[in-house]
Amino acid sequence: MKGLKHFSVTVRVWRQAGPKEPGKMVSYKVKDVSPDMSFLEMLDVLNDNLLKKGDTPIAFESDCREGICGCCGLVVNGDVHGPDEHSTVCQLHMRRFSDGDVITVEPWRVKSFPVIKDLVVDRSSFDRLIAAGGFISVNTGAAPDANSVPVEKDKAEEAMDAAACIGCGACVASCPNGAAMLFVGAKVSQLALLPQGTPERANRALNMVAAMDKEGFGNCTNEYECEAVCPKDVKVANIARLNREFLLANLFSKK
Amino acid sequence: MDITFIKRFITTSIGRKAVMAVSGLLLGGFMLVHLAENLLLFKGEIFYNGWVDFLLSNPITPFLEAGLLALFLAHIAAGTWVRVEDFLNAPRGYEARKWQGGRTIGSATMLYTAAAILAYLTYHMLTFRFVDHSMGFYQMVTGAFRSPVFVAVYVAGAAALALHLSHGMQSAFQTLGVNHPKYTPLIKLGGLLVALAMIGFALISVYYLAGIDLKSAEAGYQVVIIK
Repeated sequence: MKGLKHFSVTVRVWRQAGPKEPGKMVSYKVKDVSPDMSFLEMLDVLNDNLLKKGDTPIAFESDCREGICGCCGLVVNGDVHGPDEHSTVCQLHMRRFSDGDVITVEPWRVKSFPVIKDLVVDRSSFDRLIAAGGFISVNTGAAPDANSVPVEKDKAEEAMDAAACIGCGACVASCPNGAAMLFVGAKVSQLALLPQGTPERANRALNMVAAMDKEGFGNCTNEYECEAVCPKDVKVANIARLNREFLLANLFSKK
Repeated sequence: MDITFIKRFITTSIGRKAVMAVSGLLLGGFMLVHLAENLLLFKGEIFYNGWVDFLLSNPITPFLEAGLLALFLAHIAAGTWVRVEDFLNAPRGYEARKWQGGRTIGSATMLYTAAAILAYLTYHMLTFRFVDHSMGFYQMVTGAFRSPVFVAVYVAGAAALALHLSHGMQSAFQTLGVNHPKYTPLIKLGGLLVALAMIGFALISVYYLAGIDLKSAEAGYQVVIIK
């Protein structure tokens, strides 16, 4: 059976010592790769080898390694989050590769996500977008009764689909224009669809779009590359909802 | 007076795109009317020139023409602004980059087809609008359509327009927030049909270039449109 034997690959990876340093692609041979390894585990093995040789390990971000935290964002052989559809790069396994493969690994190359080191980028612009959406402090008390706030089942599902966004930044990295509309669309949608999010929805749309423009993200031209790569399969219908929320807020709110 | 909301149409990304979308949809509608008018060529010289006279003698026409110019300018201004910003903000420097199937030929070439349409539009104005019309509009149009060079440019312009609209029409709806499981497939289909209709401009010009009207007149046939 293909892929059960251990094999070797060459990893061509972006090395950049610091935010202001120039970077370049560097090739490393990784031997004894198990097909059962995840892609990040293969990088761990490579880093072990580098440490043993006294080299600086490759910096990359990862946390949960189960596809729900949004930390690990890499461009593998030109595919955002690797070749698997709607998946994060931590869910990519080495069985997808063959002996002798040359694997190109790059960070998100987005103006609003500057490289900190090697494959690690600074996605704090996303945090500022979230903050622009506003927040409230409420003493929540005990868990509320189920159904005390009635929500349509379909709306709840749609809100949940939008809330599935893990903020990994793949939408921006894949966008020909570097737009963050899918991210902001998801964040606006998850609240606009629910009664709890209704009181602030107009302000939220206006403020988040203003923050998005300020952070230097591009303009969406509806190319839908973001939807194609999104690990959580967030739909571009959320971008339309963001457009709608913003335009209606601009025309009909008192702001 | 608070005009923040008007400012937002010009200064925010979504506001600018809404301007581009609304003007684009109206221009698309204009192109369909324009095509319908070109089909009037088939009704013959007297009818066609009569129609043009009716248009030109109508006191509303100059205002409509000014409105049309404003639509073009708004569309071009908003589009240019969006694209300049996108050029500045685009992710850059990927050694390997694969598109994942979201892009279409139409969407990936919007900027180029826009430039081609603008170039064609300038040519169109110089050859049909700002010229001596004393020979009559029917003679002017059909005469131009008998020139292979003119028709080649005309067909290229129509092709660029079709490609532009293949993305633009449905994109405008998305930008205006219209996305619905029931209607979006219909909107996408409708957008493609409008784009396809633009080939009609090319077909009409080729009809005259090939001299089909003359040949059928010689053979005693006449194009008759049933009223």
